Amino acid sequence: MSIMKLRDPSRELAMRVLTEVDFEHRLNGFILRERAGAVPISMYSFKEVVSLLDDPQPRLDFKQLEEWIRSVMGDTELAIHIAQAIRKGNNDQERTYLIGDLLGERLNQCKRLI
Amino acid sequence: MNGYAGKILRINLTDRKTSTIDTRDYEQWVGGHGMGSAIFWDLVKDKTISGFHPDNVVTIMTSPLSGTLVPGASARTEVQGIGVQSSPIEWFTRSNFGGRFAPMLKYAGWDGIVIEGKADKPVWIDIRNEEVKVKEAQHLWGLDTWKTQEEIWREVSGRGYDKWVELDSEQRTTQRPAVLTIGPAGENLARIACLIHDAGNASGQGGFGGIWGSKNLKAISVIGMGGIQIADPKGLMEARLWAQVKYGTDLKNLDASWFSKFGRKKPQNRFWDPHESARLQACIGCHLGCKERTNTGFGNESTCHETTFYTAYDKSKHGGRQTSATYIATDLLQKYGINAYEASRGLTYIRALQRMGIFGSGKRLNCDLDFRKLGEIEFANEFLKMIAYRRGIGDDFAEGFFRAAKKWSRLEEDLKTGILPYSYWGLPEHGYDPRAEVEWGYGSILGDRDINEHDFNFLFWWPSGAIWAGKTPQPPAGQVVKIIAEKLIPYENNPLMLDFSTDNIYSEHMAKLVAWHRHYTRFWKESVLYCDHRWPEFINSKVPGYSGITGEGEPRFFDVVTGKKFSFLDGMELGRKIWNLDNAVWTLQGRHRDMVHFSDYIYHLPYGGSGNYAMYHLPGREKGRWDYIRVNGRYLDKTKFEEFKTRFYNLEGWDSRSGWPKRKTLESLGLKFVADELEKNKKLGAG
Repeated sequence: MSIMKLRDPSRELAMRVLTEVDFEHRLNGFILRERAGAVPISMYSFKEVVSLLDDPQPRLDFKQLEEWIRSVMGDTELAIHIAQAIRKGNNDQERTYLIGDLLGERLNQCKRLI
Repeated sequence: MNGYAGKILRINLTDRKTSTIDTRDYEQWVGGHGMGSAIFWDLVKDKTISGFHPDNVVTIMTSPLSGTLVPGASARTEVQGIGVQSSPIEWFTRSNFGGRFAPMLKYAGWDGIVIEGKADKPVWIDIRNEEVKVKEAQHLWGLDTWKTQEEIWREVSGRGYDKWVELDSEQRTTQRPAVLTIGPAGENLARIACLIHDAGNASGQGGFGGIWGSKNLKAISVIGMGGIQIADPKGLMEARLWAQVKYGTDLKNLDASWFSKFGRKKPQNRFWDPHESARLQACIGCHLGCKERTNTGFGNESTCHETTFYTAYDKSKHGGRQTSATYIATDLLQKYGINAYEASRGLTYIRALQRMGIFGSGKRLNCDLDFRKLGEIEFANEFLKMIAYRRGIGDDFAEGFFRAAKKWSRLEEDLKTGILPYSYWGLPEHGYDPRAEVEWGYGSILGDRDINEHDFNFLFWWPSGAIWAGKTPQPPAGQVVKIIAEKLIPYENNPLMLDFSTDNIYSEHMAKLVAWHRHYTRFWKESVLYCDHRWPEFINSKVPGYSGITGEGEPRFFDVVTGKKFSFLDGMELGRKIWNLDNAVWTLQGRHRDMVHFSDYIYHLPYGGSGNYAMYHLPGREKGRWDYIRVNGRYLDKTKFEEFKTRFYNLEGWDSRSGWPKRKTLESLGLKFVADELEKNKKLGAG
């Protein structure tokens, strides 16, 4: 299952992606484990979201993520790709992989640029 | 007294004198929590004292099954006393840990230890079979929990802890003493300090580490070489084989054993990446081994929540790659002796405050922690040191983050927004939020602490993982609740007790589930000390019909060890009695139903943000049909929760206006003396 490649980000976008956000703009998710339950994770940066999605059992409201990418990161292109991945994935596990790959790719692009 | 050592060690730290209690005097309470509550009731005349008061009594109890070959029941130790962690009242509370301590105590000839008074300077207690000495601990004071244990191992052996320990001319062993100790956090009276045993067994909740620190008690070491009289040894071996054959994992057909608590199963409750090379490590007598010993020496014996403390920060800092920082940060928790939940939730909280711009160097809440280093070992060490040694604003952290928020005048606001995720009694939420898994939250707020009893959590774990991955959870919800309901004696065959739909979570059915859970755990898990990791077993995939061992297994093992004829229902009834005794203590401490409520955010913030994604599923009915329903996105209704409390109090036979026990109920349980004491204190429920 492949998703369209992302164009190279602008320097301005790359800076935003690599910068921590303030409290109001944090994103909340969870990681799950047997017995320990659902551990809440507050994320203040793009790379923390990438890290969360790399966990074996992450939980994230992808619609909320799409909106966060669009409005907080200002990355319209990535938000569109996430919306596509939400539609394309048959379940949240597949969506996690698709979106995780997308975000990972964007993070690498930004790191290369800065 | 089959299963018992026959005596309980009583130590008064004030005059350093020891005495014994005949276990028979408390045999009606069976062991563990029941005995601990009864002893506490008898010895602590004023139950309104602070947990730090010298008159506070700490009981450390085993059970008749401790040190025996009963699977998953040999190694738990129950700790009780007035805690120092909860708020607004320091409730009489409990904690529980595994490892080697309980069996070793039994082998030394003791069913429990009762700690009274306060030493004038640091001491440790050296127990070698019958011989008990209270010794100076100046040389141990200041050491972390691991170094303390190593020093005691050396001292007991006389020649180094890898040598023979000789107890007299006829007895020697290569076993190391089992040591329960505090670290610097306990010495400095942190309310979030733990008792630590071996590398990673912690009595974490209640702040017993700080209580020991206030008593100048650094450690208790015990080594024993005795045995335990079993009423029916052949019956015990037959019961083990029965459990293994009928319920144990089928190693030749693992697919059929996807859910068995009786057999080798790879531990799953870790948040960090698996070690490259590690072997399983088990408590004494355990058939499973839920912990690990690693080739690196990092992260030994740590499991469950403490493994989540630093993993996400480490990975995020290091480009998604986990480093040794994750393991080392957890080891530091164990060494300093700090409650992992407080440290985790507390770090999340101060990070939020930092991002709000009010916490940090030169800010209103001044702190030199450099958040740019979050994810590095250095940061974790600085943060935990601040707690353990009360450095700077760490003096506030050591009080627990609920009290810290109060001191910072942020409590009301931060409980409203939920950035301080402390749901009940000023204690951190566990991972089973009251808005979703209500039996956990209700049990906690109607009790004294985050219950940390996982009896029904598989109902969340199975479907939540399966649905997230696009699979159909098996077995179907309707079948699962029917199997479990058959075992919920004395409320058996009522599947509605397991209906987690919003329409049902305030019902009398749910009140029955909460009551069943309180009674079951008070007796079978906290008094008989069946391990929370292995018991109960409601469902077993290997058995035709999926019906697990619970109901039959608990009394069968108990009876062959003790020779008693004790039914599952007898245990439930004794659990109810113990639960009532505990509630009487809380009543004397000042509890009233008006203070029994969750933090504000539980009543208005949707759990998990929204219900629009696959996150948290539990069995429930939708349009009359059973399914695994999505429960994220909801919050509790405060008015309906008040109605639930009334239903619960009525079910328990307590006064629904106050939540106080009634004489009639107490006397029916053989607790007339409790009713008399409550009446004397004008705390007896009406009716």
